[in-house]
Amino acid sequence: MLLFRSEQHIDRWCSQWKRPRGGTLSLAQGWKLAQLWYGDRLSQHWQPKTAPEAESVFREVGLVGKFWKLTG
Amino acid sequence: MPEARAEYRTPKTRHRHMSKSQLDSGLRVFVYRRMIRTGRCPTVADMAKAFKSSTKTILSTLSRLSESHAFLQQENGELWRVAPFSAIPTPFPVTIGNRSWFGNCIWDALGIPAMLSKDARIDASCGCCNLAMPVEICKGKLLATRGIIHIAVPACEWYKDVAFT
Repeated sequence: MLLFRSEQHIDRWCSQWKRPRGGTLSLAQGWKLAQLWYGDRLSQHWQPKTAPEAESVFREVGLVGKFWKLTG
Repeated sequence: MPEARAEYRTPKTRHRHMSKSQLDSGLRVFVYRRMIRTGRCPTVADMAKAFKSSTKTILSTLSRLSESHAFLQQENGELWRVAPFSAIPTPFPVTIGNRSWFGNCIWDALGIPAMLSKDARIDASCGCCNLAMPVEICKGKLLATRGIIHIAVPACEWYKDVAFT
């Protein structure tokens, strides 16, 4: 999961690595995702998120569609 | 630096008095606290000493903790990933006050200030041209807004090759 300065730089990277383009999100979405994902990590009672819980976090950040699907 | 929300201390009792789930939880939080306090991941020997336990027991506990992919082990059993921290240097250095760590990727680098609820600077750079793209978090807000995060593989395949993802 890398940071790029522009869409063109993502395309160039994909071309260099001979990879299809993946999913993208804004830095603001990335920060919100990080807060939701890691905010409780130091709790003694932390448990890994289930697939539906993870999808719920993605949805909350506006990340929807096949790329972000973990269930079914 | 205050370590928000983690209450765990080095156990006063030997591990044999702990259930498997207590050991899993205790070791997980111990590793995080040591990483936060020292900037370095404890070794298996460090963990065995702290828990008055055998290396074998620590390795099997780390193996269980690695099932979630939050922790991942090297071939020799030592940890390389303690998400969001990386135990080895990466292009995602994160500085909070006078301490620094490495994130595994840009998401994890953002995860370090998110986890610690601290202001931070991430000395990231463009994955294509290496142009410096520092990211700052101040009072819970993202200051830099330029930049796009690209995730190379779909969510359902993230853990087939964590290093590439």
